[in-house]
Amino acid sequence: MPVIGIPVDMLRERIETSLSSDELVTKLQQLGCDVEGYATLRRFACQDCDWLMEITETENPPVSCSACGRDFKEFPDRRLERGTIEVLRMELLAVRPDMFDPAGLARTLRGYLGEKTGPVKYHLEEARVSVTAERALASPDSLDYRPIRCAVVRGVELNEDRIKVLMKLQENLHWAMGRDRKRASIGVYDLNSFDSTQGVRYRLVEPEGVEFVPLGKSERMTPRQILSDHPKGPPYAHLLEGRERYPLLSACRPDGSEVVMAFIPIINSEDTKVKHETKDLFVDVTGLESRLVEKILNMIVTSLLELCPGSTAEQVNIDWDGQEQPVVTPDFSYQSVEFDAALPLERLGLTDEDLFPDSTEVVTVEQRAHMVKALLERMGHGVEVRSDSGLLVKVPSYRNDILHPMDLVEDVAIAFGYHNIRPSLVPTFTVGLETPRSALMNRVREALAGQGFLEVLTLILSSEECQYEKLGRPNRESHVSLAHPISHEQTMVRTSLIPGLLETFSVNTDHPLPQKIFEVGRISLLDSDSEVGAREYLRAAAAQLGSRSDLATIKATAEALLTDLGFPLERNIRALQESDDAYHTFLPGRGAVIGDGSREWVWFGELHPQVLENFGLTYPVALCEVDLEALL
Amino acid sequence: MLSFAVQALYKVTHPNERESIPQQEIEGLASEPPRSPRPVGNSVAKGEIVHKVQEIDYLVLTALADQIHPVELSELCRLTGLDQAKVSAVLVTRNGAEIEVEERPYRELSVGKKAAAWAGVLPERRIIECLASGGGQLSMLEIAERTGLEPKDVGGTLKILKDREWATQSGKVLALTDEGREAAESEPGSDEQVFAVVAQSDHLVTDRDLRENRLPVEEGLSILLERKGILDIKDRVERYSALTEKGRAFIEGGLTPVREVNLLTPEMLKDGSWREVQFRPYDVTAATEPVWAGKIHPLVSVFEKTRRVFLEMGFEETESGYVESSFWDFDALFQPQDHPARDMQDTFYVGRPSDCNLPAEEIVKAVKDTHENGGQTGSVGWRYQWSRALSEKAVLRTHTTASTVRALAEKPTSPRKVFCVGPVFRRETVDYKHLPVFHQVDGIIIDDKATFANLLGTLEAFYRKMGFSKFQFRPAFFPYTEPSVEVFVWSEKKSDWVEMGGAGMFRPEVTEPLGCTSPVLAWGLGLERLAMFTYDLASIGELYKARLSWLKGVDLCRL
Repeated sequence: MPVIGIPVDMLRERIETSLSSDELVTKLQQLGCDVEGYATLRRFACQDCDWLMEITETENPPVSCSACGRDFKEFPDRRLERGTIEVLRMELLAVRPDMFDPAGLARTLRGYLGEKTGPVKYHLEEARVSVTAERALASPDSLDYRPIRCAVVRGVELNEDRIKVLMKLQENLHWAMGRDRKRASIGVYDLNSFDSTQGVRYRLVEPEGVEFVPLGKSERMTPRQILSDHPKGPPYAHLLEGRERYPLLSACRPDGSEVVMAFIPIINSEDTKVKHETKDLFVDVTGLESRLVEKILNMIVTSLLELCPGSTAEQVNIDWDGQEQPVVTPDFSYQSVEFDAALPLERLGLTDEDLFPDSTEVVTVEQRAHMVKALLERMGHGVEVRSDSGLLVKVPSYRNDILHPMDLVEDVAIAFGYHNIRPSLVPTFTVGLETPRSALMNRVREALAGQGFLEVLTLILSSEECQYEKLGRPNRESHVSLAHPISHEQTMVRTSLIPGLLETFSVNTDHPLPQKIFEVGRISLLDSDSEVGAREYLRAAAAQLGSRSDLATIKATAEALLTDLGFPLERNIRALQESDDAYHTFLPGRGAVIGDGSREWVWFGELHPQVLENFGLTYPVALCEVDLEALL
Repeated sequence: MLSFAVQALYKVTHPNERESIPQQEIEGLASEPPRSPRPVGNSVAKGEIVHKVQEIDYLVLTALADQIHPVELSELCRLTGLDQAKVSAVLVTRNGAEIEVEERPYRELSVGKKAAAWAGVLPERRIIECLASGGGQLSMLEIAERTGLEPKDVGGTLKILKDREWATQSGKVLALTDEGREAAESEPGSDEQVFAVVAQSDHLVTDRDLRENRLPVEEGLSILLERKGILDIKDRVERYSALTEKGRAFIEGGLTPVREVNLLTPEMLKDGSWREVQFRPYDVTAATEPVWAGKIHPLVSVFEKTRRVFLEMGFEETESGYVESSFWDFDALFQPQDHPARDMQDTFYVGRPSDCNLPAEEIVKAVKDTHENGGQTGSVGWRYQWSRALSEKAVLRTHTTASTVRALAEKPTSPRKVFCVGPVFRRETVDYKHLPVFHQVDGIIIDDKATFANLLGTLEAFYRKMGFSKFQFRPAFFPYTEPSVEVFVWSEKKSDWVEMGGAGMFRPEVTEPLGCTSPVLAWGLGLERLAMFTYDLASIGELYKARLSWLKGVDLCRL
């Protein structure tokens, strides 16, 4: 999860309760925030584009603008010092986008601290601005489908801090909810940079069909040029792959000429950019699914209202050409959830004693219901008590995480405080039982450790080179292979434990001799009868490097192991033949296999010098590998 | 009692360094009959206290008692039948007490390399004699020819000839002086005499031998030593030993030899001779050869401890394969199909086999519906179109929750407690706390009566058994649990809370499509993290780097 920095002052000025630094951290942790701690950030602004950059005290000042790319080494006076800011660093709580910014976080804290419980009501003005959208963008069965939802926020008083917060919120919503703009993307514009009374157009254009100055540039570019040449083009070009026409948002100047607002979902235009002096904002969210788009719009608009006290939100009409009823957004209506107050108490294991520690009388169903109501209200929900324990919970429009009543159970638990829940044990008796495989693994470990072998663990992922080439074995293509390996060393799941042991020897050449090591673990082979197409086999392998690493020694080791494990006595030992896959691993005539007539499960011998050389070993090695499946 | 000096002497002798104690010494003492193992001295007969001494001390002391004059070391060896090392050991121990050792230095002389061919005559003598017989004046070449000297030896002697004013040089011709003529006719000088004796002797000559022959040793040597390479001299010492007054009294008091041995042998046990020997004490503080002990891997011991704790708490163990369908790894756990964790950036998709079979159709449909619209679970679902093809994609399991949820689906009835310990795979870039393969434990409790408080209680019991004593539970988010909780344990070392694992109650969106209507408590924990904490490791790589020295030395009792 990315780590975000919440400006401490902006958070504190929005809550009344006076909390020490530590108390604030504790309260945030009790709400589920993964707080790393306080940090002081240095700030620099780009004079060209007003972009604000923050760095930690140990980082070097930026050498170029991260927004417009201005080179500060060449133009040092374009980088402006903007002092420092104290932030609370915490992991982004992806499930609660309404808490990504200091204003939204303060809203949650106010409820949790009991300063302002229950739902926050946001007033909405009637629509004065209309968006006319092209039909293809609104038809789910169209390839060009990308619905739009919009809002206007008037009377914002912006400054550098607030713009920074807004930008970060937008960025984090893109990441967490928009799946990096794929599912949704957000645009914020200066409403007064165009004539809003003439409306806004959302339409499709040809790749060369329009020219405008994108953010961070000074020259006009076509969408096609932006996709290839603009810093934001190539990283997001895949979102428009296969489309013949691109979504464009535009408006009109007072003289009726067109002003481009954004090439969606790639970049906004310089013409409609938000500046410090911007008073009114136009906000759009587009995406692949209208419900998500509406949620994100609600989150960003309510956070803006929290961020800029005194501002008001205004709805926007969205006319899809050819459709009779315009869509009007944003819509701040609640999500209603029927909720039985008994559910959280039962699931959490909260008793009357937990809820009413001071009560001496019998607690009634109503009292419990009101307790749950109060807890939910501290989490920002509106609650009506309908019947004895039946509640109707009104989930605020900016919450996106209530999929099921159990999500409300968690809100009750958080409001009650995890630290206030008394841990107890399940009252039911059950009997422990280990798997035969685990039991066998331990018997093998005991047996081999008893013979003086040291257990090692090697990585289960390996390569064809190690498993076959270096071992002198044919690649039968019977292994599990990775579709997108990270490295050449790890392209498949191992089919033998031997390479891991030999690699262990090769990194311990400075260790005294003899070296005796073993591993017990699983290998994987394809199996078309299995549900998943492959299955694992339990194996053990023991190897000795140095003096007396000969066939007799390792045969004795293998036989002692078999005796310990109770292998049947009537077994056939035979020398490996050239037709055996394992033949070239061992010196000719010094490799052998033990089987029971129907199946072979123990291979042992003296390693072939070529194999030793392949693994960079300069001492003889004798080893055995045992397939333990026969014992399960 | 052995004296301090003897203990000091044996301090260098290591109990395990058998090879360093000459084997024949031990065997010799065991088999060779002692020369005079009977007690000696007057007091024996009187029944007074007898001094017990080691056999070698006994032999040396009694040998010296028979001598009037000090005895040289090799002679003493001959008298006692012991080798020099043993006799010396006795002398070192008893010097200044019972024995007085006198060191007599002497010099061993031999002809140097340079003078090996001179046959006992220094070249200056040959040259002046040659000049005297050759008319008093000869070229250096003629001198070499006539004397048989190497030209370089003639050249090398010029300085001596000039210094002694025996000859003068003009060009390549030497002329004899009057002093030279006189010298040629006189007796050889002290240096010549000494050189002649040393060169002509067929054994090693000492300065003492020369003195005994009344040669002018000191003067001759001092002249010869100024010239490099003519004589080789080695400083030697002879040790002469004699009993002191105290020593004689000691022997008079009566001596009994006691055999001292290093090792107890089966023979000693058989014939009872162990009663008569003394065992040489060891330096118990001396370092010993480290033992190569076979043992289990420290990380495995963490797995085993974890398994034992679960078994003690009444859990049945489950297992499943490394290759897993996306269905069981993600979909059954209500992870939406576009969840970032499912990206091929983070998850190892399997190339071969690329696809898996899905379970019974009703389960697949229930999961699909739950994703799309909540199905029968009362959830609103994720609201997207669920793809069967994505669900069939084979992955290397990203968590052991895939195993426990399979176990849940196999038998979704209360009450059950299930756990799984095993490797999981993530497409992680390797750093100090990430590896592409690591191990997890997952546990679930299916129980009609299970509560979130039970989950906290079970976690507390588990972590307490794992050796932790202070816990904190904080809200957290996981896609498949609600409510969710993260367990933090207190680290004295960091003096901070350390995150140790995640837990929660399985969402109804997980349990109900699999036919489970009971509450399910679930938790998971990365075991490498626990091992790093237990063994105080800075990097996860330490566990797999397989340094045998670390594996050998690590103390498994930390758990």
